[in-house]
Amino acid sequence: MIRNIKIALALAALALAVGSLQKVHAQETKAKTLETGAFHGNVHKTSGRATVYQEEDGKLVLRLTNFKTSNGPDVHVILVAAKDAPDDANFLKSGTERVELGSLKGNEGDQNYDIPRGTDLSKFQTVSIYCERFNANFGAAPLEKF
Amino acid sequence: MNSIERSWIWRRRWTLTAVAIPLLFAAWWAFRPEKLWVNKKVSEPAPFSSTSDPQPLYTGQLEGKAHQTSGRATIYKTPGGEKDYVRLTSFTTSNGPDVHVLLARSDDQNLTQEIVKGQLDSVELGPLKGNAGDQNYDLPTSVDLQKYNAVVIYCERFHAVFGVAKLESF
Repeated sequence: MIRNIKIALALAALALAVGSLQKVHAQETKAKTLETGAFHGNVHKTSGRATVYQEEDGKLVLRLTNFKTSNGPDVHVILVAAKDAPDDANFLKSGTERVELGSLKGNEGDQNYDIPRGTDLSKFQTVSIYCERFNANFGAAPLEKF
Repeated sequence: MNSIERSWIWRRRWTLTAVAIPLLFAAWWAFRPEKLWVNKKVSEPAPFSSTSDPQPLYTGQLEGKAHQTSGRATIYKTPGGEKDYVRLTSFTTSNGPDVHVLLARSDDQNLTQEIVKGQLDSVELGPLKGNAGDQNYDLPTSVDLQKYNAVVIYCERFHAVFGVAKLESF
């Protein structure tokens, strides 16, 4: 009788442990990979990868990995309404529509940028590292479906 | 003449200095030349906790050769020590006899043709499970992904290259 109770208790403890583990797992925020693309840029030596993730609540995040570009004044991360962009492209002159994601946090390393809600990724297909002071594209990553 | 010029500069030295300092400052502000050799490195974590999920290592778009092929091939690393694998997504190719998934060298000259005439240096991943849809193929435990950096959809019977995806680091 006592043995049975012990076994039952052990099983209950095990179930609890497994249950709590699963709970921890469920609390992890999952993100879906939507699009990805590799950076190119020769004039300002830009390389690495840009990936758009969608978090569970629908929020879009752009993440740069293995990223490197040249440091410069007033450099921003933007999305442009183009399939791709050549080195030193001037989006002001060409009148290309863009979405501002923020100032470049660093010219090297992994970094995240929030994409404003309601951004149409089927329209804004390219990530650009853009020098606002001289209106020059340092590097571009055309995004493709992941 | 020289002495007159010098004296002109000398007489206006304070005005010139007063003009030069803001000019130099403006030039510095506009070009920030020190940034040429000053790097700013950041290392933000991913926007989600993903350590328990397989991580993409390499990825590439499939391009059709002998037959129309499209989609994406991605190599995932599993953190748990299970086998790493290739995953095909948004994948379509034509159905065919004895079609296999291989890893090959992206610079292999055989891959530039539709039909392989020589011996293709490759790693076998298994027969193609389906000609459309998402699918996974385990990698052999020791495969040099630096060397075998392309995923190939290959018809063994006719040595036909259906499609190739050159892999780039994710």
